[in-house]
Amino acid sequence: MKTKAKKISGWILTVFMLIMSLFFLFPVVWMLANSFKGDALITADMNSAAAFIPPALNGSFFDNYITIIKDTSFLRYMVNTLFYAAILIVLGIVVNGLAGYALAKIKFPFADKWLLIIMMLMIIPSETIITINFLTIAKLGLLNNIIGYVLPMIVNPFNIFLFRQVFVSLPDDVYEAAQLDYCSPIKYFFTMVLPMSKTVVATVSVFTFLGVWNDYLWPSLVFTSSDLLTAQIGLNSITSNDNTTMGQTLAVITMITIPVIIIYSLFSKQIVEGVVSTGSKEG
Amino acid sequence: MSFIEMKNICKKYAGAEKNSVTDFNLNVEEKEFIAFVGPSGCGKSTTLRMIAGFEDITSGELKIGGKVMNETAPRDRGIAMVFQNYALYPHMTVEKNISYGLKNMKVPADEIKKKVDWAVKILGLEEYRKRKPKNLSGGQRQRVALGRAIVKNQKVFLMDEPLSNLDAKLRVSMRNEISKLHRELGSTTIYVTHDQVEAMTMADRIVIMKDGIVQQVGKPMELYERPVNKFVAGFIGSPQMNFYDVTVKGNTVMFADGSKINLPENIITRLNGKKDGLILGIRGEDIKLDSQNLDLYKDSIQHSVVENTEVMGNENNLYFTFGGVNTVARVSKYEISQVGDGIDFVFSPARIHFFDKETEESIF
Ligand SMILES: Nc1ncnc2c1ncn2[C@@H]1O[C@H](COP(=O)(O)OP(=O)(O)O)[C@@H](O)[C@H]1O
Ligand SMILES: [Mg+2]
Repeated sequence: MKTKAKKISGWILTVFMLIMSLFFLFPVVWMLANSFKGDALITADMNSAAAFIPPALNGSFFDNYITIIKDTSFLRYMVNTLFYAAILIVLGIVVNGLAGYALAKIKFPFADKWLLIIMMLMIIPSETIITINFLTIAKLGLLNNIIGYVLPMIVNPFNIFLFRQVFVSLPDDVYEAAQLDYCSPIKYFFTMVLPMSKTVVATVSVFTFLGVWNDYLWPSLVFTSSDLLTAQIGLNSITSNDNTTMGQTLAVITMITIPVIIIYSLFSKQIVEGVVSTGSKEG
Repeated sequence: MSFIEMKNICKKYAGAEKNSVTDFNLNVEEKEFIAFVGPSGCGKSTTLRMIAGFEDITSGELKIGGKVMNETAPRDRGIAMVFQNYALYPHMTVEKNISYGLKNMKVPADEIKKKVDWAVKILGLEEYRKRKPKNLSGGQRQRVALGRAIVKNQKVFLMDEPLSNLDAKLRVSMRNEISKLHRELGSTTIYVTHDQVEAMTMADRIVIMKDGIVQQVGKPMELYERPVNKFVAGFIGSPQMNFYDVTVKGNTVMFADGSKINLPENIITRLNGKKDGLILGIRGEDIKLDSQNLDLYKDSIQHSVVENTEVMGNENNLYFTFGGVNTVARVSKYEISQVGDGIDFVFSPARIHFFDKETEESIF
């Protein structure tokens, strides 16, 4: 039984969060509503509540989107980025996951020191090493090459640490049982460890996706060929083009936001759980 | 040649100061059910895990089926194991858990199905085939763990405290099920437990350990009737054996509080003239309160006052002070007394044990 005081404070909290979420929703709604309008209408609606209301559903409703899709390569850039994200999710889970597993469960000399080094790497901002990465990739002749783009992005100290924290709490006897069931160590990792750690796998996948999706600097350095560009670069070149209307700008921003919103709404539970579990489980 | 032979096996964990297991010697015959029993930390699990191959053997030799196994990988030792915490694969259904090993062994699908059908049937898991472990009770999980072990047809079963997470009632019924399973399958079994009742009721032979050293190996009743030392005498049997510091003068045994009992000549002679530094041990059921025994040994009748009782109907324990120490007598339902009642009792002379106080070795 909840007490009355608890009920009331629950209500207050709900109302407060509702107001807060409205603050955050306003710009999104505004963006969405105006992305269906021509520039004249946007300006006309600007100072009234109509700014938050989409126009009537008529023949020109999707014009901004159609223009973006037809006249620019933005859709292609989005597909490119999804593809890079997929590659990096898979490789990132395998490489960082195996590293995290080794740090969590395998006895080897200086294991604790290695962990410390990897944790120290977490505090180095990626911008500080981007030049050296660029020079390395350039020397290897991998500019304008997916491999050159992907290679320096695979290893992620934070994800290694995340995996390690979760794997540490996996019971050892399951591994022993699996050994007696003729399961090899590698097979154990892929068919037991990862499925038993779905939450952290989801968390790392989401973080990786968001990282790739939102990254501007690295792809803009590696890629110059328009076949390979990513959505953020596309967004930048479209919005900085003088011929782009405001409505089209909002349409392209909407397009680039949609996957992020989908991911967050699908995986919000895992994201929170993943972050919480890595903090609270003892390591 | 025995099926499992262990010679002078020692285990010293890296960084540990002393051995966790010292000079473990044991020969296990095919189809035997062996229990390792002893207090927590005495090295039972360590020994079992060395047999399984999950811990290196520091020194000594392990043979299974005549082959030295010291360096053999666990999977190639022909063993199946049941773990204390079940160690089920949490993301797999009951069926998948049981069949996982067979699948990896590349057993044909129809044969796997037959085996799984058989296992879920004898373990009563038919209704739960498609469930995941988290939706099972402790007893059901333990059955799945058993199922996973039995389908592989391994020659040796190792079990490490498999019932210790279950409630008392379930423990008794699972005890019987494991015994039955062992009789049906005839696999050589080594069963680790800290519970002497489990060891006594299930095992063909018991290995009782203390501080990493085997104290005694024998059939349950051998350990009960002829313990080699005070530790074994005290560990096996419930309620615990009563121990008293005593001295002997002629045919009379003198207790610390001045109580005396007379023993027949033939028993005294077995002490070989040793007169002091003795511990007398007697089990609760060998302290007699019935008139027949009181009559028989009337020159040694003792008195005390009941301080506590445990009445269970078939097992009734009376607690009182005698010889300066707490004593428990186990009596039939006809001799139950109330707290505060005075009681007369005798020690059944033939059932008395003597131990050397210094070495704690049994004299008889
Ligand atoms: N991995 C380990 N590292 C160091 N010492 C251990 C390890 N496992 C067990 N021990 C020690 O070895 C002794 C025996 O332990 P164990 O075999 O688990 O006892 P039991 O199973 O009889 O309770 C204990 O003193 C314990 O502390
Ligand atoms: Mg143990």
